[in-house]
Amino acid sequence: MGIREAIAVALGTLRAHKLRSFLTLLGVIISVCTLVAVVAMVQGVNTYVGSKIARLGSNIFSVSQFSLNEMTNPVRFMRAKETNPIIRYQDYQFLRANARLPRAIGAQTQRTGTVKHNGRSLDEVNISGVTPNVLGMSAFQVANGRFLAPTDEQRRAYVAFVGPDIVTHLFGGANPLGRHILVSGQQYEIIGVATAQGDVFGQSQDNFVMIPLRTYQKIYGNQDSITLDVQARDARLLPATMDEMEMLMRVRRHLSWNEKNNFGIIGSDALMTLWHTLTGAIASVMVGVSFVFLVVGGIVIMNIMLAAVTERTQEVGTRKAVGARRSDILWQFLVESAVLSTVGGLIGVLLAYLFTLAAGALTPIPFSLPLGAVVLAVVISTLVGLFFGVYPASKAARLTPIAALHSET
Amino acid sequence: MATPTIHQPSTTTATPYAGDREVVIRTENLWKIYQMGSEQVAALRGVNLQIYRNEYVAIMGPSGSGKSTLMNLIGCLDSPTRGEYWLSGHLVSALDDDELARIRNQEIGFVFQTFNLLPRTSALHNVELPLIYSGAPPAERTERAMAALQQVDLGSRVHHKPNELSGGQRQRVAIARALVNRPSIILADEPTGNLDSTTSNEIMALLEVLWERGNTIVLVTHEHDIAEHAHRVIHIRDGQVAGDTRTRRGDAVANRPPAPSA
Repeated sequence: MGIREAIAVALGTLRAHKLRSFLTLLGVIISVCTLVAVVAMVQGVNTYVGSKIARLGSNIFSVSQFSLNEMTNPVRFMRAKETNPIIRYQDYQFLRANARLPRAIGAQTQRTGTVKHNGRSLDEVNISGVTPNVLGMSAFQVANGRFLAPTDEQRRAYVAFVGPDIVTHLFGGANPLGRHILVSGQQYEIIGVATAQGDVFGQSQDNFVMIPLRTYQKIYGNQDSITLDVQARDARLLPATMDEMEMLMRVRRHLSWNEKNNFGIIGSDALMTLWHTLTGAIASVMVGVSFVFLVVGGIVIMNIMLAAVTERTQEVGTRKAVGARRSDILWQFLVESAVLSTVGGLIGVLLAYLFTLAAGALTPIPFSLPLGAVVLAVVISTLVGLFFGVYPASKAARLTPIAALHSET
Repeated sequence: MATPTIHQPSTTTATPYAGDREVVIRTENLWKIYQMGSEQVAALRGVNLQIYRNEYVAIMGPSGSGKSTLMNLIGCLDSPTRGEYWLSGHLVSALDDDELARIRNQEIGFVFQTFNLLPRTSALHNVELPLIYSGAPPAERTERAMAALQQVDLGSRVHHKPNELSGGQRQRVAIARALVNRPSIILADEPTGNLDSTTSNEIMALLEVLWERGNTIVLVTHEHDIAEHAHRVIHIRDGQVAGDTRTRRGDAVANRPPAPSA
């Protein structure tokens, strides 16, 4: 019996028992759907985050109190808290005075707080103290008014550049320029509003108040570490610029050659690496879960194939009586099991596709169906069908013709 | 237990036809012993048979006589415990599973009481089934299956499924399936057991036509009036051949000039 006859027989059986086949295939459908959807999601999110990080501005890295390595491990973080001094305004001034490669060095520090206006208040607002040159290194633009100026910094002025959320929530959308907000008991005049950036994973990016760094330190003290944003002149000079910053920081900290950095240099590539590590971990857990589903799905298929063999004992007898060999019967049931499972895999891919369409429409994340994952999922579901079909098929093949013919069905 | 419907010839051991004809089935001292728990039950106790090309033979016996066991052995569905069985020159009692499958495919055409057609499958495809297992190419398969269906007057219903056909038509499909590989024998096991008398007569008439066309037919039945359609009746009782007689039809045929194939 050729493969085409075997597949035709298998599809015929599938059609004859639509509901039963669907229920049987649920495990395979779910697992393949999960597998493909997770891979699609991780790919989409990676693309999205990659584009977001790229938007931060190319050739930009930061100098911060802790390295990524230290921030992502509790043990290392506790140790680094002992060893790494905070980065102070004087460090910023030192780097500005001595660095020769960067196009610009900005500084910022931040905390969350409540912003009030006229009896209305907004919680969990990102309050940051920034130097005026961070404008060129950030994703937002000035929509209205102006950004913080060097003179605001020198005068430690009580002026604020705010995100659109502040305008929406505290001013009901009315023009806020020249009006005042209250942050931590201090009045600030609004001098500018940023363009809207929307959400990232449901977190609004427009919920911020920026004040001059010196003003920030006047109000909140200088015990918050600041982060330095450094922009290299171009991509080729980025590594050299990072080296220069590292060298200058080591000089400033008086570190001898055998001491480790007690600060962090974080480039966007390091961020992407960290991000991939995170999503990779999520993906591998989900892939593991979907494999468990797959095994369960395979066992369900085996179960239904055993039932099918019992149910079709007389068919097996008839086929044997007209000349089917053991191998023909084995082959027939194996192909049937594999076809069943593959159909489940294809339905799973279809569902995953619908999922990516829906998710792509409802979120800004660019989802696409990864071809490699689709092919892999379908091949794996076929293999699962083959594997779990072996026992039922060999049981059918071993039936003696007489027993099979005389079974009462 | 002779019945008035079957004409008794002069002898019970001699074969009813001349000895120079080709032997299709020959069994020598065929035994089949079943193990029932701790007990051994002999279903067949040394059966000796010869059936010739283009004979129309009925094997008769009450239930428990061993006739079903004999049919299973003749049909190569089972192997004897002892003894030899030759089918068209093959010593089939010595063959393994796959070789038996090939013999069933090439040499035997089965017709069952319960038709045993594949449900949800067209008449044409049911008839093609033996050809699929013999590895015939698709075009030839269809052509030969169509021809077989035309032989049983079902040329106009080839695409009907079994549940769209009457009992008689289903049995015709089964007969077409039995014919399609041009087997040495057509082995019909109670072919009319599930049919009413009118349809039974049609099926028996069809078997007669197939015999006329040169086929060898072995009919297994417990009904005298069905056995009467055959030309020779082999009685089985207690696992042995208890009688081998020529029917009235057999006498009529014997007095005719030999069949064209002889």
